[in-house]
Amino acid sequence: MLSIRMFEGFKFKQRKTPIHRLDPRPKFMIALTIFALSLIFANVMVFLLLFLAQLPLVCISRSVRRWLGSIKGGAILAAMIFVMNFLTGSTLVFSATMTLRFLVLVSAFSLFFMTTSPDDLGLALEKARVPYTLSFTFTMAVRLVPTIALEAQTIIDAQRSRGLEMERGNLIQRIRNYIPILIPLIVSAIRRSTELAEALESRAFGVTKDRESLVELRMKLSDYATVIIALAVLAIGIYVQLLITLPSLDTGIKMPALWKF
Amino acid sequence: MEIVSARNLTFTYAGSRRPAIEGVNFSVRQGEFVVLTGPSGCGKTTLARCLNALIPSFYQGELSGSLSVLNKDISNSSTSELSRKVGFVFQNPENQLFSLSVERDVAFGPENLGLPREETKRRVDWAMRLTGIDGLREAAPYELSGGQQQRAAIASVLAMRPEIMVLDEPTSFLDPLSASQILEAIANLRQEIGITIVLIEHRLDLASKYANRILIMDKGRIILEGPPSEVYSEEVRLMGKPLLLNTSTACSNRRKVKLLLMVYLRRRLR
Repeated sequence: MLSIRMFEGFKFKQRKTPIHRLDPRPKFMIALTIFALSLIFANVMVFLLLFLAQLPLVCISRSVRRWLGSIKGGAILAAMIFVMNFLTGSTLVFSATMTLRFLVLVSAFSLFFMTTSPDDLGLALEKARVPYTLSFTFTMAVRLVPTIALEAQTIIDAQRSRGLEMERGNLIQRIRNYIPILIPLIVSAIRRSTELAEALESRAFGVTKDRESLVELRMKLSDYATVIIALAVLAIGIYVQLLITLPSLDTGIKMPALWKF
Repeated sequence: MEIVSARNLTFTYAGSRRPAIEGVNFSVRQGEFVVLTGPSGCGKTTLARCLNALIPSFYQGELSGSLSVLNKDISNSSTSELSRKVGFVFQNPENQLFSLSVERDVAFGPENLGLPREETKRRVDWAMRLTGIDGLREAAPYELSGGQQQRAAIASVLAMRPEIMVLDEPTSFLDPLSASQILEAIANLRQEIGITIVLIEHRLDLASKYANRILIMDKGRIILEGPPSEVYSEEVRLMGKPLLLNTSTACSNRRKVKLLLMVYLRRRLR
């Protein structure tokens, strides 16, 4: 199950590091800044810089292995982006730039989700005036990912032990092999949702509108500092893009035109 | 003082022909430890669902007769309102823990009740201490063992300070050792805070020693009711085993329970 393993790099794990302790809002700010910068630039140097700049953060959050996992998961798509760009007539450097842009984004959001507890994220959403039922749905969905993944594995094992061969046949056959996995998985998810709803009812869900949560999000000095740094980096980025021309490293190497559209 | 009383309670799930429970009469006094048991599909869970008004507010169907829980008629109260008074612990601990840390999960109920933060904090501390999971505050539910998960579930119900706690087979996902520890923890709760307990349980060997009263259900009806020792000898007599009857007065509780289990097996095989 490649797809399930790829999400591993987006799964939160409790660790006691400065990055984990940051408020979710400034952390999201970092991810957004990187996102914005990778949209306004198209220079391979900038992406290299953005990519390398995240490495110390990953190291501080002590999640190097899982971060590598999500990069590896993104590598297949990245390779596809590179090949497609190159084959359709882009220069070598431009294709590499697009690939790097993708990896930078994967890395930034993987770092965010790895170090932000969905519970805290829910609280942040609440602070942003998102209705509680909505933010709760989101937290619950994230909370259930590992549970459902485990269940999927159990079903796969069960069906295999009854003789289902997953890796057999052509592409269509292989997709059809997933039907005996998906149907029990969906049925059990529906059953689970009923049980969850029952349990929610029994825990007074929705009795009062003004609930006060046990943990309160509070911006600390380090959080404000993070926001300021992120904003500063963004401002510098915009300034550079508008007023300074970065040296283009494009060597102009292209695939010879094999076909014309 | 009777805090639960059912008169002729009958419920048929929508889309089903036979009633799941039929003509059930029973009562629970304050501070009692009642064990509800019987073969699978006998209506135990249905009866439990009535106690916190999941029936009729959550499950569709036809309800007749009456059930009042702490002077409230279940046919016009909602589960979430009743949850202040009646706590419900479900079979599968995984489907009743919502947060990624035990502490926040225990806080979930009090938060929903709109309690001030300080009070929530106090209750969380209290409930976690009582259930012996004080050291697991930051742990995620999926990192816990089954027994710890079920303790967390009990703590989160307890934090709402209910007067009655209904537990629907809380040990069925657990190994024998954790099961006996959970049942002991439940019995201790009753001693410490005087909470009324209605426990649905198959593991009679573990549960009987704590029970004041045992209700045995079959095919939607309560067929036997009384203190454990009486119920077991009665059951043996009902099954027409004079040989066993002789031993029933002399033998230990443990032996009686074994006999009862044998009777169960016979009935299920029939």
